[in-house]
Amino acid sequence: MGKKSSDVRMSLQTLRVLEAFLENPTAELAGSDVQKRGQLASGTLYPILLRLETAGWFVSRWETIDPARVGRPRRRLYRLTPSGLARASEVFASFGRGVPA
Amino acid sequence: MTSHIDLAQRLIQRAARNAPGALAARLEEEWLADLAARSGTLARLRLAIGCWWATGVITRDFAVPQVATSGGRAGARALLGEVRADFPILSRRTLTFLLIAGFHLLLIYALASGLAQRGATSLPQISPAVVTQEIRPQRPTPPQVDIHIKSPVIPTTQQDLRRIADFDLRPQDEPATAVPTGPEITATDPPQPPVIQRIQGGPGKGFPNTDDFYPSASRRLAETGATTVQVCVDAEGRLSGDPIIARSSGIRRLDDGALNLAKAGSGHYRPSTENGRPVSSCYPYRIRFSLHD
Repeated sequence: MGKKSSDVRMSLQTLRVLEAFLENPTAELAGSDVQKRGQLASGTLYPILLRLETAGWFVSRWETIDPARVGRPRRRLYRLTPSGLARASEVFASFGRGVPA
Repeated sequence: MTSHIDLAQRLIQRAARNAPGALAARLEEEWLADLAARSGTLARLRLAIGCWWATGVITRDFAVPQVATSGGRAGARALLGEVRADFPILSRRTLTFLLIAGFHLLLIYALASGLAQRGATSLPQISPAVVTQEIRPQRPTPPQVDIHIKSPVIPTTQQDLRRIADFDLRPQDEPATAVPTGPEITATDPPQPPVIQRIQGGPGKGFPNTDDFYPSASRRLAETGATTVQVCVDAEGRLSGDPIIARSSGIRRLDDGALNLAKAGSGHYRPSTENGRPVSSCYPYRIRFSLHD
């Protein structure tokens, strides 16, 4: 594990992103989903998602759908990694806010 | 409806193309997918503008390697792949900003150090305009005149008037000549106001007896004193107003008796006269109450 929260600067916006994922740690969320839950601007959200992915907190993949059949483009889905979940839990524990079950 | 969607799509596509290398295609597809999930013109345009901002932030993030754990470094390598190889240390935007900032710093330095001023002084000097003095024909100057006022004497007599008029207006280089005095001024005394001989009035013939108005209580208590009463009397010797106490005797009862006497004497006052003619006037007179044996 080594360094935990020092990998990524823990701004309020970053905490909101993590909080959105910690509501259901196994869920995969697209950027638009995180934006709705965290009330974040797109200019802030996407750089945070990329930073967290680069730092190994998240993994991402393309949605496996047939766009022609569904009628919409495929989305990029993000998910917490086990190490990302542990780090995020530690971050929130250090703030004394508790971690959702 | 479709126009704003097209606009938002174009904005996102152009923003994504400015992102670093391999990320461009991924971000474009991701953002366009999120755009499709949005509803509402404003929300879509906000997303598109936000993507422009995100591109700048992402570009800066990936221009400077992040401090990451070993897993993070691996993730960055996986994300960027060959991107780092062709991605310059300074982006075009950063270079432009640095150039503009440098130009401004140079300009400020030039102004502060006086380089600009020295440059200005090195310019060819403009010959100063020659000012020629206009020569005007000399007019003969009048001889200097000294004015001496001897003394501020109020003219009351003929001699004073002549002294006041004795100004020395002769030019210095001119011989003294007789100053015409003009018509002789004769001082006359101001007209004297007519003298009015005034004789003040007082109690006259038939005026009531003082003893008749001596208050009985004061008589029993042996109170004595003098009260000065101010009365206004017309030309006929009648009171034209109520008399008042001008100076009290110090005993209220005696003052009241004096006022009663003054009122009772109306019609029996001797009016004041001016040059022998009776006139209305106000005057004080004293009433003395004293006990007789």
